[in-house]
Amino acid sequence: MSPGASIADFEPGLVLRALEAHHVRYVVIGGIAAIAAGAPILTTDLDVTPSSSRENLERLTLALRDLDAKLRSRDAHAGVRFPIDADMLATADSWTLTTRAGNVDLMFAPAGTQGYDDLRRSATRERIAGVTVAVAALSDVIRSKEAANREKDSMQLPILRRTLEQIGGRPL
Amino acid sequence: MVSGDLLREARLRAGLTQAELAERAGTARSQISRYERGDVLPSLEVLRRLIRACGLELGFRIFGADIDDHDSTLIAQTLPLTPEQRVNRAVRAAKHLYAA
Repeated sequence: MSPGASIADFEPGLVLRALEAHHVRYVVIGGIAAIAAGAPILTTDLDVTPSSSRENLERLTLALRDLDAKLRSRDAHAGVRFPIDADMLATADSWTLTTRAGNVDLMFAPAGTQGYDDLRRSATRERIAGVTVAVAALSDVIRSKEAANREKDSMQLPILRRTLEQIGGRPL
Repeated sequence: MVSGDLLREARLRAGLTQAELAERAGTARSQISRYERGDVLPSLEVLRRLIRACGLELGFRIFGADIDDHDSTLIAQTLPLTPEQRVNRAVRAAKHLYAA
């Protein structure tokens, strides 16, 4: 389990509802996207790729404040407060956050992709935890994990590729 | 035998310290320790890779199928669910597995 929120707090639906409530443009990526596609894996956080446009960062700011987002830290279990505003969010490609609804990773440019506009092209609208959201195609999740080449990604890749084979590359 | 015991047994048979296994597997010693203590439950794929790093092979059969067939069976069981059901089930399972 990674640092930050307790797994008991992990409620991806609450995060998605907050994003939707503020009309944030984003694509769900990572483990939740792979699970939605049918991969029998587990995840303990929600990964999303928001649009990095200025107006979207303003909306994202409001959603993150609602979620009481803080920086995830191994040294500070409850997270580290930081000034949540569009200017701050624009300073990094990724943010690892803890919120009242569990851990959330924002990745504006996931490895191997060009970010929101790139992922949106093959994304589908799916109902997850009571809200209908854009979910990245499994082929894009795999593409990103291959490019990231992290240990935990490389271990998941075989079953993700097998899932893609079994769904025949179809959408969800 | 649970996965932590299995991993420890494989490591000791290989005569490796946790640090040596971690180096072979490209992970942290603390992560090996967490797996062995049962603090974190490794996925089947991770467990297979770690045991391979001990020079052993995790060869077993589940309900008459080999490990790759097992993955295919899991996927086939998941596909009839809706995306929402898949996510709900995975979140519940993660909470159950990682609650400790």
